[in-house]
Amino acid sequence: MIDPSEVSAPTDWPVPGPLTLTDGAIAVLNLQAQIDGLEGPSTFAEAATLIDLLILRGLILGRISDYERAAELVDCKVGTAITDAAAYVVRARTRAVFHRFTEALDDLDHADRILPQGAAAERERAAILQAMGHYNEALVTHEAAAADREEKFERAAALAGFWAERGKTETAQHFYLDSLRSYRGVSPFPLALLDFQLGLMWMRQDRLSEARTYFRTAVRRVPAYAAAQGHLAEVDAELGETEAAIGRLIPLATSSDDPDYAAQLARILGEIGRSEESIAWRRIAASRYDELTTAHPAAFADHAAEFWLGVGNDPRKGLRFAEFNLRVRETPRAYDLLAQALDANTTGAASARCFGAQLTNRAAMQP
Amino acid sequence: MSDHFSGPRALADPTADISDVFAFPAPENPQQLVVVMDVFGKAGPTAVFSDAVIYRFRIRPVDIDGTGPDAAFAPGQGDFIFDFTFDVPSGRSHSGRPLQQGRCLTPGGSTISFRIDDENGGANDGAQVFAGQRSEPFFLDVRMIEKTVATGKLSFKPKGSDTLYGTNILAIVIKFEWRKILKGGPLFAIVCETLAAGKQPVRIERVGRPEIKNVSLSWKMFDKVNKDIEIRDLYNSEDAFDLKPDYFDAYRARLNANLAFYDGLDEKIDWPFDRNGNHPLAKLLLADFLVVDPSKPFAETSYFEIERSMLEGRTHVTPGGRWLNQDIMDFVFTLYVNGGNGPPVNDGIDAPITWSSNIFPYLAPPNPAKAAAA
Repeated sequence: MIDPSEVSAPTDWPVPGPLTLTDGAIAVLNLQAQIDGLEGPSTFAEAATLIDLLILRGLILGRISDYERAAELVDCKVGTAITDAAAYVVRARTRAVFHRFTEALDDLDHADRILPQGAAAERERAAILQAMGHYNEALVTHEAAAADREEKFERAAALAGFWAERGKTETAQHFYLDSLRSYRGVSPFPLALLDFQLGLMWMRQDRLSEARTYFRTAVRRVPAYAAAQGHLAEVDAELGETEAAIGRLIPLATSSDDPDYAAQLARILGEIGRSEESIAWRRIAASRYDELTTAHPAAFADHAAEFWLGVGNDPRKGLRFAEFNLRVRETPRAYDLLAQALDANTTGAASARCFGAQLTNRAAMQP
Repeated sequence: MSDHFSGPRALADPTADISDVFAFPAPENPQQLVVVMDVFGKAGPTAVFSDAVIYRFRIRPVDIDGTGPDAAFAPGQGDFIFDFTFDVPSGRSHSGRPLQQGRCLTPGGSTISFRIDDENGGANDGAQVFAGQRSEPFFLDVRMIEKTVATGKLSFKPKGSDTLYGTNILAIVIKFEWRKILKGGPLFAIVCETLAAGKQPVRIERVGRPEIKNVSLSWKMFDKVNKDIEIRDLYNSEDAFDLKPDYFDAYRARLNANLAFYDGLDEKIDWPFDRNGNHPLAKLLLADFLVVDPSKPFAETSYFEIERSMLEGRTHVTPGGRWLNQDIMDFVFTLYVNGGNGPPVNDGIDAPITWSSNIFPYLAPPNPAKAAAA
């Protein structure tokens, strides 16, 4: 077992030199070109690459339809490659995207039984365990995956993400800088994804100025990065720059099939008294959350709960999703969300506050 | 596409992933040498070059240093370098392709500017350049190669399925008066590289000969020395003209093992190992650059003819190098399996969707988006 105190940040962090990265607009054009070029008949390795690229595009452009297409493809590929361990690893990755964590771990176990898997599959397992809130196991698995010292960037980036989620800001920043130093590619995507994780970390600490710096860095690397733009808008709004936030959110809410942006927009517009517009965006978000929680309940339970507890204004529905979310992932955030949901449902408000405190304590006991 | 997907790192940056290198005397003008670098295999319609990558052609005079069992090249000192760089695209063409400007810095220090996909490209000082999307000139049946390796039996069908049929790549083409721009010769060694731009450019990938990293180096299971190591990223990071002695034996062990596997596919040994336990082709193949003699007239099927002549102790008669339309997979499998002592190995694919032409920029125009799926 690794004691987190052993992984401390040095007092003097060397600053990484300037990185040469492909312009974000070129990177998105070429991501599209890769996907287009791999559509159609292909080898399994190419299909696996296509699935990874669809997931990446889904992540960058905020396109849930890309995740859904990846899931369709992978089911088809596992069907035709039933004895291929790599097929199960790819399916595990896709299932994890939809928060089907237990099934994803089963796939990784199955792949291991067919043929022992390497560091990449172990990193996959660590990320899933982390998402489920099994932090000790996740950290041990991250370290085991890091045995391959050739992959310095992957190791540092995984640990930066891990400690960022745990809210250990110094350690997360130490590994973030390590990641920058060890990065040898020219694609901006891996670094923008990392910037985003650090931005989230600061946002959860209520350090909005720091959060904004990281989100801006992510957006500078990849202007089309929807989640970074969306969170930057959220921070802008919190810092009083409401018009800038609305300006960022409208194109996202219009183009993305992820209802988070419409929900954020509805909330901000409501707060500044633009009620009609707020109601219109709220309807769009509500309808889409209903669709998504029907199709992929585990994946969208947490965001749906937040929506219904907030601008969606249906605390009972919010509670239902918060409870379900906690069954999927026992993270501190899931406990907090449930506490918030219980609090919001007036009949149980007192007990919710009490239970919420217990939950917070329990969450704090997590490693 | 002989080098596509040639290592995990290359996968992360498709624009830096070199798929093929060609070098041949210009079919229409024997005074000129043509060198081609293909990147981004299976590129969709929006593919463009990276603004963070230097696309480099390194050309060196080379001598023959030995023949027969000691066949070897001795590259000279110092490169003639053509460097290509590209801007961020601005706008779209009528066909919907992103509009991108590029520049070529020649060995003489002059700059040639051009717009991608413009078939006339740019010209200056005895050199003409082109960069843009073209039809994939390579053809092969990947599934049957994998099956051959998995089963230990040549598995090609009389009529195979071209894995690359109807797909496109990004190509960079230079045609230049070699006697004016290069010094020395007439034998030249050519290697293409992609480098992360910056104050100290870092090599991402390098390619010289076809099918070294994929067909020849990628299989780990026959290598008794380093069966768990993905050796290709390390190999990519090396200077083709100056392999580090520390790793040379690791590359040679992998090559010895894989070449021995191929040699055994016809159940007879055509390439007995030498007294040091090495495959006779290993050292020549690890001199991983295309060797071309532009003083010889253009030839359609001249890849490795210079090396064969060295092994056989005779003088070469073709320009060597590599022409766009040569059936490399048939050649490589025939070379590895029977060394030309048996019937040619045919992989069942004898042509790409469209042949390259004898007119600049040689590679055929790009295929429509749906050609591959159809």
